[in-house]
Amino acid sequence: MATVETNAAPIPEAKSFAPERPKMGVVFWTSVSWILLVIAAAVLADLLPLRDPDALGIRTGEIQRFESPGVNAWFGGDGQGRDLFAQIVHGARPAMVLSAAVTLIGGSLGVLIGVVAGYVRGRTDAVIMGIAEIMFAFPAIVLLFAVGAIWGITMAILIPVMAVLAVPSYARIVRGVTIAVAERDFVDAARAMGASQSRVVIKELLPLVALPAIAFGFLGFGLVIATEGALAFLGLGLEQRTWGSLIAGGQGLIREAPHLALIPATAMFLTIMAFNYVGDGVRELIDPRPIVVGRKRRADGPRPTTASASDALLSIRDLRTSFPTPGGVVTAVDGVSLDVRTGRTLGVVGESGSGKTMLLRSITGAFPVVGVQREGRVVVDGTDLLSASPASRSAMLGNEIGVISQNPLSALNPVRTVGSQLVEVMRVHRAISKAAARARAIELLEQVGIPRPGRRVDMYPHQLSGGMQQRVTIAIALANEPRLLLADEPTTALDVTIQDQILRLLASLGDEYNMAVVLVTHDLSVVRGWADDVAVMYGGQIVESGPTSAVFGDPQHRYTQALLESTPRLDLPIHSRLAAIEGQPPSLVAPPAGCRFADRCAGADERCRSEVPVLERLGSVEFRCWHPGQGEAR
Amino acid sequence: MKLLGRLIVRLVAVAIAVSLATFSLLSAAPGDPAAAKAGFAATPERVEEIRSELGLNDPFHVRYADWVTGVVQGDFGTSVLNEQPASKLIGDAMPHTVELMILAQVIALAVSIPAGIYSAQRPNGWFDRLTGAMSFGMLATPAFVLGIYLAFIFAVRLEWLPAVATDLPGPFDDPVENLRQLILPALTLAAGMIAIYVRLLRTDLIETLQQDFVLMAQSRGYSRRRVLWRHAFRPSAFSLLTAAGLATAGLLGGALIAETLFAVPGMGRLAVTAIFTEDYDVVMGVVLLLSLAFVIANFIVDALYAVLDPRVRHGNR
Ligand code: SF4
Repeated sequence: MATVETNAAPIPEAKSFAPERPKMGVVFWTSVSWILLVIAAAVLADLLPLRDPDALGIRTGEIQRFESPGVNAWFGGDGQGRDLFAQIVHGARPAMVLSAAVTLIGGSLGVLIGVVAGYVRGRTDAVIMGIAEIMFAFPAIVLLFAVGAIWGITMAILIPVMAVLAVPSYARIVRGVTIAVAERDFVDAARAMGASQSRVVIKELLPLVALPAIAFGFLGFGLVIATEGALAFLGLGLEQRTWGSLIAGGQGLIREAPHLALIPATAMFLTIMAFNYVGDGVRELIDPRPIVVGRKRRADGPRPTTASASDALLSIRDLRTSFPTPGGVVTAVDGVSLDVRTGRTLGVVGESGSGKTMLLRSITGAFPVVGVQREGRVVVDGTDLLSASPASRSAMLGNEIGVISQNPLSALNPVRTVGSQLVEVMRVHRAISKAAARARAIELLEQVGIPRPGRRVDMYPHQLSGGMQQRVTIAIALANEPRLLLADEPTTALDVTIQDQILRLLASLGDEYNMAVVLVTHDLSVVRGWADDVAVMYGGQIVESGPTSAVFGDPQHRYTQALLESTPRLDLPIHSRLAAIEGQPPSLVAPPAGCRFADRCAGADERCRSEVPVLERLGSVEFRCWHPGQGEAR
Repeated sequence: MKLLGRLIVRLVAVAIAVSLATFSLLSAAPGDPAAAKAGFAATPERVEEIRSELGLNDPFHVRYADWVTGVVQGDFGTSVLNEQPASKLIGDAMPHTVELMILAQVIALAVSIPAGIYSAQRPNGWFDRLTGAMSFGMLATPAFVLGIYLAFIFAVRLEWLPAVATDLPGPFDDPVENLRQLILPALTLAAGMIAIYVRLLRTDLIETLQQDFVLMAQSRGYSRRRVLWRHAFRPSAFSLLTAAGLATAGLLGGALIAETLFAVPGMGRLAVTAIFTEDYDVVMGVVLLLSLAFVIANFIVDALYAVLDPRVRHGNR
């Protein structure tokens, strides 16, 4: 696949939200304490000043039959007056021993196997993972049940069987981590420096793999406790007294003495929960999640909808688009105004992170991040999209406004046919029968230059080439004969040979449908070839705009000049064409006080750094620069 | 359709592996079925006679082949219980288990799909936090613990529902009573799945909602609902489908628990009873069928996946 330039360089990809889990902190430490308490109970049960768990209360007279929990017996007594509290404390031990043994044995075996599979890869890996998959395929409890039924349940049987059952889970996790780690440089370096394989594994890999394995170990520990309980519940418990056997014993008496089942069940629940919390907390150590961006807020109340004075179809006034990020509020579009008339094509050009893609998104209002706020006016054909009602905005989008995006494959729904996506856009916006819409879909496909449209209409996006896919998105954008077409880097993801065809197609369709077109690109030759007007963006602002020939012929702003000077011969790869200017684009969180280009500008002086350049006009060109036009014109 | 062929080959392979494992496990069992059958008073000669009658002296592979041949023809052997054919006992129990599992899946999906979708739309909103915490809790609750809680609350305290399903009518004979008796065991089974489904769907949807084609659908003026269901949910539904297939393993194990706890006359309870009466033909049959059910469930998921997801159908993934 062709590498796609992500335009939104300073925009954090807010993709990886953690599955919601309760916050670490108090709960985490409470869980740790609970686990320690249970361990203490398991170890010290014999030393604690408890009643004998086997002493029959009805005989000693200390505890009544089915005594309720209270001061005398904290957790009450069972049918023979045995102290439930003492039984629970003593019952902690077998499950803890079992879980510890299973977790240690199964865990270390799994880690070992996982590291080997992930490090060696190849056939060994395939065989190991194949076996693991078959083991996953067998319901563990059914197997344990069968084993238990035949040989009976003792520690000596349960520990090895459960340990073996636990191995695949550890192996799978560790294998994944190993593969990721093994591809990192330092492991490669160690390998290259001649460290023996086993040394690399032990010294470099194991420490990194340990934490995820330990995190899972806690979860696995809880799982073993639960499984032992389930077996005991089925009547296949260990011979020792465990929480599981207490629950199983109490379950039949749930009407007469509910505490007998409920209290040990709660003890078990709390313990498993605690292990899960701690495991989760440990995982959090390895896997810090991004600070989550705030909720999406609607822009403030409706503003008066006044059509712009000009006869422009698209008229943007003082647009500001900002959104919160962990590093502060990014103002990606900062006070942009522009007009595009029907029949004209405006090229918006700038580096990555100049705000050009966000400008386009600000028109449609579809953002990949949450919490975006827009201010200003975006008037299309007399309607201000920012203050319009959701209904009238929806009526414009996809109907009067068509959108084409950068990467055609990801812009098309992967699981629906080309035809259904075309039909959908027509049927959402107008009253048209399915059959008529389909006929028109085929017609449209033909119009955008797709051969054999009758067959392609029933294909899925991945069955088409990149160029074809882009033609499809164009067809979708044009389906309702829009008056405004927004195209975001429509050719970046495509082969060089296809790029020209697509641009030619866009130009001819623009004429045919008499649309206003906004063409966002970082490729100056695209602007030069296909745009009537150009707006140069830098740091979220338009620094220079006007008819393409005028701007390119006599650039005023230093940034435009630098761009044009660095304009490459066509033999350079596309992505490096704008990279030729030294330095970094300005911060959009805290932009420079004066001219945003000052840090990289050869002609910058004190004034440039402190005062924001005012908008000046020279003929048909507008620009913001204190020292304009002093570069070499081209 | 090459894909379907591959799936079938895998199905058969796993079926053979599972049946072999089950059979060898149970033939290694201590205890002498011939002696058990002959009764206390039998002479050693009589036991030996029965032994060869039952083919117990044959080599392992012959016995396995015999057993498989029988199973394929629907003969699972004979139960020690009144000499009934094992297949009859299993056949009587199976519909209850199947119904229970379907009910549990339906409950799980009906709860988790709306919950997951709602959570994903407002990540970290109050609802999302609540479902997150609840999923976490449900994952940590073993089925039998949850079952006991449910039985205590709904059957003992509130007395809304019966605590046992001993005289379970068929779903078509008396649907209301049938549901009343099965709802608690089904909930017990569903809880763990709900937790898994909600978390999965939420994470998946949040990711999908930020993808290009969803943004494009939004920028075509589609309603929220349309974007959500027609564009975002469908790809996420595939992950849910996979999870549902995998969850079948948990369901089968859970069926043992839930049926025992609520006395549902299904295969799980049958197996538990059979084990304590050393009724190995029945145990073997149930274990084999449960394992096969798991394999088949995943086979169906894979096949559905291939039919529903065009990317798999065309071998692009
Ligand atoms: S205003 Fe000053 S710093 Fe900015 S581009 Fe013009 S000359 Fe350079």
